[in-house]
Amino acid sequence: MISFLTVLFNGIAYGMLLFIMSVGLSVTMGMMNFVNLAQASFSMLGGYVMVAVTQTFGIPFLLSLPIAFVAVGIVSLVIERLVFRHFYGTDDLTQVLLTIGVVFMSIAIVTYFWGGTYRQFSVPPWLSGQQEVLGFTLERYRVFLVVVGGALAIALVFGLERTRFGAIARACVDNGRVARACGLNTDLVFAITFAIGGGLAGLAGALSANLLGIDPNFPLRYLVYLLIVVSVGGIGTISGTLIAGLMLGVADVAVKYYAPQLGGFVIYVITVAVMLWRPRGLMGRSA
Amino acid sequence: MRALMSALTVIGLFLGLGTHADAEDTIKIGVLVGYSGISLLSGQLTDGAIKLFQKRYGDAPGGKKIELIRRDTTGPNPEVAKRLVQEVVTRGKAQILIGPDFTPNTLAAAPIVTEAKVPTFVIGAATSGIIGEKSPYFTRTFFAIPQLCKPLAGYAVQHNWKRVYLMVADFAPGHDCEKYFSAALAEAGGTLVGNVRIPLSNPEFSAYTQRIKDSKPDGLFIFMPLGEPSIGSLRAVNDSGLKASGVKIMGTGDITDETYVDAIGDAALGTITTGIYSTQHDSAMNKEFVKDFEALNGKSPRIGWSAISVWDALRLIYDGLDAQAGSSFDPDKFMAFVHGRSFESPRGPITIDKGNGDIIQNVYIRRTDKVDGVLQNVEITSMPNEGFR
Repeated sequence: MISFLTVLFNGIAYGMLLFIMSVGLSVTMGMMNFVNLAQASFSMLGGYVMVAVTQTFGIPFLLSLPIAFVAVGIVSLVIERLVFRHFYGTDDLTQVLLTIGVVFMSIAIVTYFWGGTYRQFSVPPWLSGQQEVLGFTLERYRVFLVVVGGALAIALVFGLERTRFGAIARACVDNGRVARACGLNTDLVFAITFAIGGGLAGLAGALSANLLGIDPNFPLRYLVYLLIVVSVGGIGTISGTLIAGLMLGVADVAVKYYAPQLGGFVIYVITVAVMLWRPRGLMGRSA
Repeated sequence: MRALMSALTVIGLFLGLGTHADAEDTIKIGVLVGYSGISLLSGQLTDGAIKLFQKRYGDAPGGKKIELIRRDTTGPNPEVAKRLVQEVVTRGKAQILIGPDFTPNTLAAAPIVTEAKVPTFVIGAATSGIIGEKSPYFTRTFFAIPQLCKPLAGYAVQHNWKRVYLMVADFAPGHDCEKYFSAALAEAGGTLVGNVRIPLSNPEFSAYTQRIKDSKPDGLFIFMPLGEPSIGSLRAVNDSGLKASGVKIMGTGDITDETYVDAIGDAALGTITTGIYSTQHDSAMNKEFVKDFEALNGKSPRIGWSAISVWDALRLIYDGLDAQAGSSFDPDKFMAFVHGRSFESPRGPITIDKGNGDIIQNVYIRRTDKVDGVLQNVEITSMPNEGFR
């Protein structure tokens, strides 16, 4: 029983990590209908920003998280204004090719400035090691991830998805001409949404660095997980991304524990099964 | 059309004659390593080693000026490696190769270098059954899996870590290591309490660490490829409390490689590994090597095994070319010269086996410690002249 609950907790924590990693992509892809693979690069950048501010300026880890959010949000805004906004109307393949190109460029740029080595980084002592909770030995950082992930999910669902701004953003995507005719500044709405998506990716990179490491190959290593979570959850829903993250996380950890020979195989089986059953994802909006 | 063809033929003849004329006083060496992707650091260290070697020993051994042809294998990618080897050998006219790295790449190169008689130095593939079997022109200056996977079994039993859990990456070298380690453990009188194969792309280790905890081993042996899997597994083992509960963490030196041990941080402390080279190795030659390498190439990335493998390959190339001074390059004579060579390297004494060209070297048991505030692999015992089988 104890081991079952520990595995369940670890699965939830991993699921939260997957959710945190992919929610930025879910925002840009779902609310703006823009396939931005460079979200993974924004996450990497968030990790580098976090390391830079904590190590160079001695800023505490917790404070470095909002800094990573804002800094990467601004960077993504600049890129959106300069490049991406010209591709909003184009088809998916064009967007995929464009943004994967940006991923490769980001790898080269990061290697140029920070070198190819893995970044050295450790979380503060109160976040490392284990903690006894109700008789269970849990890893402190995982408890932290569950708390942060939960708070983030609530904040996004009620602060972004179910607000007037969320409705405006969807209106701008669904019918830009009518939205403009109604007096909405679609350019501004897109820019803000994109910056939020980018910022979330940056935050994710800073939060995940402890478990996933930071190096120039970060985007390519984890991009596939982002895409899996977003497509299983259903494009366009934050709650769907959360459910998908948790489901995949728990399934992955549980199968690896009870049937390790199946290993990392299960996450893909679930993905294929869900895609066959509901091609638009668990919570996907119908077209 | 016919005129065009003949024009091309004539031009081709001229080009052919042109390269032939100076073939006597240059030798082309293909360097095929990862300059991007997961093995980017190996590429940087390879170039660093070549730079230092040429600074010390010049660039014209035996009167033949060395011309390097560098190509990026981009990682374990046999199709790319095969194409690059073909290009470097047939169009580039490379007469010696350093690399390609990784086992699949090396296997892809075998038929080409055999047919073209190109001596090839294996500097980044450790699987057994490559050297001497896939091509007579292969020489290894890296290590063979059994060299690093076997010795720790006996060592663990000696130190009373008799119940050992085995965790390997789920790919050919991992399976290889699993085989050698468990056989050696049984022979030494230890017990394998469990083993698990971990997918190469695996960001989540908690299920595995929980399983390991459940079986209450004395020691945990880890074999992971270079890079993120090594970092992730050691950090996870530490975070899960396995290490704190007294389980001894062991593995091949890949898991605490100098190029990224800093990123693992204190989670690496106390890890017992087998290794072919540590920058801490206590010899005058090594101290000078480390000092000069860092002075020339900087302190980052830290010197890892790629640097030393390439360094020793260059030693063999230079000595082999010196031995052929004054005559044109003969690959078979070169191979005969290389086989059976013994010399001192910064890692310690090494010998190239006379029979098959694989490496015989000292294997060191090391502990990851902080030396002057920096994580280092400190050698505690050496096992002289470990063979490759």
